[in-house]
Amino acid sequence: MIVRLNTDIAAGVLGLVFGAVLWFPRADIGRLSIIFPRAILLILTLISVALVVKGFIRPSGRQIEITGSPRRLVTVMIGFFLWWGLVEVLGFLLTTLIAFFALTWYLARVETVVTWQRMLMWTPIILALVSVFYLTFTEVLNVRLPTGLFF
Amino acid sequence: MEMLLEALTSLLTVESLLTVLIGVSAGLFIGAMPGLTATMALAMLLPFTFSMEALQGLIALGAVYMGSIYGGAFTAILINTPGTPSSIATTFDGYPMARQGRAYEALAAATIASVVGGIVGVIFLLILAPPLARLAVAFGPSEMFWVAMLGLTLVASLSSDSLLKGLLGGCIGILLSTIGVSPVGGESRFTFGYPPLQGGIELIVALIGLFVIPELLTMAAEGRGALPGGGELRKKEVSIAKVAKHIFSKPVNLIRSCLIGQVIAIIPGAGGNVTSLVAYNEARRFSKDPKSFGKGNVDGVVASESSNNVMVAGSMVPLLTLGIPGAPPDAIILGVLLMHGLRPGLDLFTQSGVLTNGFILSMGLAALMLLPVGLMGGRVIHRVVIRTPYYFLVPSIAMVTILGTFALRNSMLDVGIMLILGTAGYFLRLIGIQAAPIVLGLILGGIAEEGYVQTLMAAVVDPIPWLRLVSNPLSMVLAGLVLLGAATALVPMWLARKGLLDKVEDEDSGGSS
Repeated sequence: MIVRLNTDIAAGVLGLVFGAVLWFPRADIGRLSIIFPRAILLILTLISVALVVKGFIRPSGRQIEITGSPRRLVTVMIGFFLWWGLVEVLGFLLTTLIAFFALTWYLARVETVVTWQRMLMWTPIILALVSVFYLTFTEVLNVRLPTGLFF
Repeated sequence: MEMLLEALTSLLTVESLLTVLIGVSAGLFIGAMPGLTATMALAMLLPFTFSMEALQGLIALGAVYMGSIYGGAFTAILINTPGTPSSIATTFDGYPMARQGRAYEALAAATIASVVGGIVGVIFLLILAPPLARLAVAFGPSEMFWVAMLGLTLVASLSSDSLLKGLLGGCIGILLSTIGVSPVGGESRFTFGYPPLQGGIELIVALIGLFVIPELLTMAAEGRGALPGGGELRKKEVSIAKVAKHIFSKPVNLIRSCLIGQVIAIIPGAGGNVTSLVAYNEARRFSKDPKSFGKGNVDGVVASESSNNVMVAGSMVPLLTLGIPGAPPDAIILGVLLMHGLRPGLDLFTQSGVLTNGFILSMGLAALMLLPVGLMGGRVIHRVVIRTPYYFLVPSIAMVTILGTFALRNSMLDVGIMLILGTAGYFLRLIGIQAAPIVLGLILGGIAEEGYVQTLMAAVVDPIPWLRLVSNPLSMVLAGLVLLGAATALVPMWLARKGLLDKVEDEDSGGSS
């Protein structure tokens, strides 16, 4: 998907917004702790302004290309955040199994029709993959993974 | 010398040899997957080293690094898709060779060149790092500030099409490094009233997020999976000895590529893609038959693969001596060093000399291991890479990424930060702000801040405190190098704007035709 966007202005505005977010809480910070971030914030602002000006005078790119399907991109992005959000509720193992099945099903549909029989065929592979990593981390590396409501 | 022998003894154990073998194989496997870079390989496999001792962990990651850079050549040669960006130049001649039925010859040449390059890089590291580390002792706060600035200037110019966007990325990274408790003032900064942020953004969390998540999102969006099947690795059409004889009969190409690889590797932030492209270009320029390049000339493969493997150990010269990563994957190695309480500098070569030398020598061993692993296991790895569907790959990598990030500090907040940074990294990349300058800013921010604030504190009675930053000859030299670095980035832009580069290219093509 091609989106018309002046990348110089976009980068400049992003820099200014990022700078503003850090600029306002600086008043409560002591001199020794703010002296360096303040200098960098100043440089960031100058670079951002330069980018915005350049965007108007001599823009380097007027469009961006999102390769592939934007819908799939957003869905997978949301999926990752849901995976993260649900780990502490359902526990790592259950959430990962659900997320793994869901992602595999969703992504495989790009290439082929995913029937229940096919999902059943993939089940042992997915179970093995998740179990191997789960057991490696919990039993070998002694990492206590979140358990959530179930296990 | 004693330390070197002791390090060699600690390396020649079954445990270490197995670690190298497994590391090289794992790196080769991941590096051969198109889209999965050496940095990703290191970030993904990092959690498995948490429970290891410092030396074993470093040996494992050094072997993964070496294996993944070499692994990129497999798909570059067989399916014209570089497994890692370092192998871009390998496709130019490797794939035409495969199409001519010379896939095995190209792979054998890539393997031999990688082994030679890997060993040469280790020799350079052993020779160059200790004196530079001794020199680094003379570096005070102002010098360290300029060293950090030098790293930033150079990466900004190398990692992005736009110098301004590269610098913007560097500034964003530096500001991210200031989140949490200030190293000099000791106060909390930019936590927005959220106490868990006092610990700051963990370097490895940011590395995993910025390097792995954007690639995963791209893979998912593109539905990348159906790799072209061409370029089968058939039976040997030429013996390895014959390929080796051909390569060593033209030592100039090999030596030149290794030297180019080493020089570029020392420049902070310059990755293997830069080294291999420059080495390839020079091999073509100096060749008696430049027209055969791009049509299946084995010398092109040798130039690309030897130079990018020199970079593996070579890029650790600035890392182990000054704490500045020579290439993006080195940032992960730095994270591991810091995790084990090891700070780059002279101490690494004195107090922890056995460990450091053991790590360096293990990379030489990993380079040697490429020969049997690459030539014998190559066929199996190629088949697995071609047949692994992306719909298994994406969730698997996501799972390892989440597990690894969580395991670092047992923190789900870290996983959240990793996902936020990764998602932001995807969109930043779309508008031309790459991950490399952000990461370098994050690493160098702390070094620059300590140097800057300590220098200004010492100059509190000076009429112009800022001048203390250039008050001694060493600082002046470093400040000059920063200016030179910035100018190096600006000159090609100025030439391009004046149309001078086009003129040179026209003359070049006119002369060759």
